[in-house]
Amino acid sequence: MLFVREMKKIVCSFSWVLFVAAIGIAMYTQGVFGFAQDLLHKPAPGENYGVKQEEIPEQIMPEALSKLWEEFCANEYKTYPIGFIKTVKLSEKEQKKMAGILAEITGMDAGALLREGNRQAPADSDGFTMEMNGDLVQNSEGEFAVAPENAGSLHVDPDEADGAGFWQPSVQKGMAYEEFRELMDRADALLGGGSAYEAASLIQYGTVSLTYEEAEERYDLAVNSDRITGGYARLFADYATVMVMSLLPVFPAVILCMKDRQARMEELIHTNRVTAARLVMSRYLALVAACILPVLILSYVSNIPLWGVYGGMNLDYLAPARYTFGWILPSVMAAAAVGMFVTELTGTPLAVAVQGLWWLLDVNAGYRSLSSSYSLFRLAPRHNAGPRSWFRTQEYLEHRDGLLCNRLLFVAGSFALVALTIWIYEQKRRGRIKDGISLVRACSGLGNRKGQSEA
Amino acid sequence: MKDQIEIKGLNKFYGKKQALRNVNLTIRQGMFGLLGPNGAGKTTFMKVLVTLLPRKEGEITVCGIPIENRAEIRRIIGYLPQDFSMYPSMNVAEALDYLAILSGLSGPVRRERIERLLARVNLTEHRHKKVGALSGGMKRRLGVAQALLNDPKVLIVDEPTAGLDPEERVRLRNLLAEVAGDRIVILSTHIVGDIEAACEDIAIMDQGQVIYDGTVEHLLDAAEGQVFTITADKKELPRLKSELAITGMHSQGQKTVLRFLSADPPPGAVAGEPNMEDAYMLYLHKNGIAAPSREPEEGGR
Repeated sequence: MLFVREMKKIVCSFSWVLFVAAIGIAMYTQGVFGFAQDLLHKPAPGENYGVKQEEIPEQIMPEALSKLWEEFCANEYKTYPIGFIKTVKLSEKEQKKMAGILAEITGMDAGALLREGNRQAPADSDGFTMEMNGDLVQNSEGEFAVAPENAGSLHVDPDEADGAGFWQPSVQKGMAYEEFRELMDRADALLGGGSAYEAASLIQYGTVSLTYEEAEERYDLAVNSDRITGGYARLFADYATVMVMSLLPVFPAVILCMKDRQARMEELIHTNRVTAARLVMSRYLALVAACILPVLILSYVSNIPLWGVYGGMNLDYLAPARYTFGWILPSVMAAAAVGMFVTELTGTPLAVAVQGLWWLLDVNAGYRSLSSSYSLFRLAPRHNAGPRSWFRTQEYLEHRDGLLCNRLLFVAGSFALVALTIWIYEQKRRGRIKDGISLVRACSGLGNRKGQSEA
Repeated sequence: MKDQIEIKGLNKFYGKKQALRNVNLTIRQGMFGLLGPNGAGKTTFMKVLVTLLPRKEGEITVCGIPIENRAEIRRIIGYLPQDFSMYPSMNVAEALDYLAILSGLSGPVRRERIERLLARVNLTEHRHKKVGALSGGMKRRLGVAQALLNDPKVLIVDEPTAGLDPEERVRLRNLLAEVAGDRIVILSTHIVGDIEAACEDIAIMDQGQVIYDGTVEHLLDAAEGQVFTITADKKELPRLKSELAITGMHSQGQKTVLRFLSADPPPGAVAGEPNMEDAYMLYLHKNGIAAPSREPEEGGR
């Protein structure tokens, strides 16, 4: 009954209406209500079936080296150390070390590579490259001139600005792929990590076109394993989680927790018979239910039009529910738990900033692997695949166990945070924690009950 | 189970500041008044009793239950805090229903009790009114109703009449007297009239200490022969105010009648019947805690 009352408190508020509107708008922008316009079709011979990434050393090694050489010449390396893009500029000494790594890959002299790199450094941003032989000197009248050797030999070639005519080093013959990976890992470490050269990221340089057989296999898997609607439901879950549901639930959580304080009802509730565990848990479950309900409905709104389009086929009608509860729910639980925990702890809306930062870092952490990411600590796991790639069902199946671990971890973590929230609530109720962060006082009281009473 | 509250050697600190000093009290069934100036420690004392604040030292048992047993204490206590409010967007019945659910009352019991309490506090016809739209007096009556939801053995009300108009004050005092029955009702206030009208046993607190614990009658007896009135010209008022411990005054044409406390009255003073306010002021004055010579309200008794 308490659960129902708390739920009513949430859904009968203007903030919840805004919350639902935000979800609806965000999902609409992702095109999830237009899945019927992008249908799965059986591949026909001779079509373009798209590409896949594969660890092909012969392709990866030159491509990765080319990219590293380009960034080395510019001394501007793009990395994502904590999710956000960071342009790294190495010092002279560090560039020498990078030249050493390049030397080991190419078998060339590090000094020569360094000189060539400097020579090929982009001179301006207008699409032109100026090549100047000789030294730039200032004459007695204060004017600059190229002198004395090859004076006047200034070559401007817009074509070269595209890099077409530029020299590029190549991987030395006989280099083992393992050795190449190690050297690239060293380059990544020199850049502070998070670059496109770390061994685990090298696969992005290996792409290969799908064959007809592979495309057919993908299609069969989408039809038989995902039963078509499953693939669409998964895509909906991917967008919903990353776009909104790993962030927005923090808002109703904060509002709900601050409502007692705003209504000056804290003392009334604190002296009530209800236990902290029952109250906090009821509120948490009501929050999660109120947040997941509109997503579940929208998931079916997105999926139901496909039932007619693929009529007569073996469809998975429960897929929207399964992906809503199996994929989206743990992220909702995490965001709501953070909202309740931080709000009870601090008595402020700080949780919005905390969850916002976490979401931002998580989204950026997945930037380099936009298509899919199932790592254990991803707040919003990704499996971004449209129907034209036949849902990439095989990849999903290969990572399903990892995804399951991730989702279970988030459920467990959420309940752990709720347990902490219950503890904090009880401490506030006993007067050990007042407004704001008084955790130190509460904790010191655990070991010294005498000290608690001074709160 | 003893139907009384026993407090022995209660001390409470806020940091280094001592808010309650060696409080010893026994509170029995009926209306018990806790009187004291603002900042005397009454609210802190109440909050300790309702388990909202931990104590530093001392023993408290409520109807035989040690205060450490918070769950049991919350089961038998009803509390109306000084700063009472409820969710403004809920209507009266919804707000009571929500708190009744929190109290764990089952559906039929909840409905029956809410109806009965609404009738008792005279809010039945306002049951669909939003809490935010209630007047101050109606809100306090709703507060009393919510405090009675779990049929408590002990009802603790903190400054319930503060800010109310005289009619609502009387109504609320009567309501509390009605619901007292076989309960322990602790009424904390700085308004002497509330205590005088409703309580038999009282305690006076100041600076965290209990400076009086006894009956109203005994307090009045102690003031016997020390309350006087004198009629004076208005131009004499400044002098008299500085010389006498005045507890009240009112105009009578060009003259002013002053009511004051004194063991050695000036010539022309007439002995008066002490009331609760006189007795309270005298007690504070004797203990050197407050100076009753402060200017009383115009028209006071």
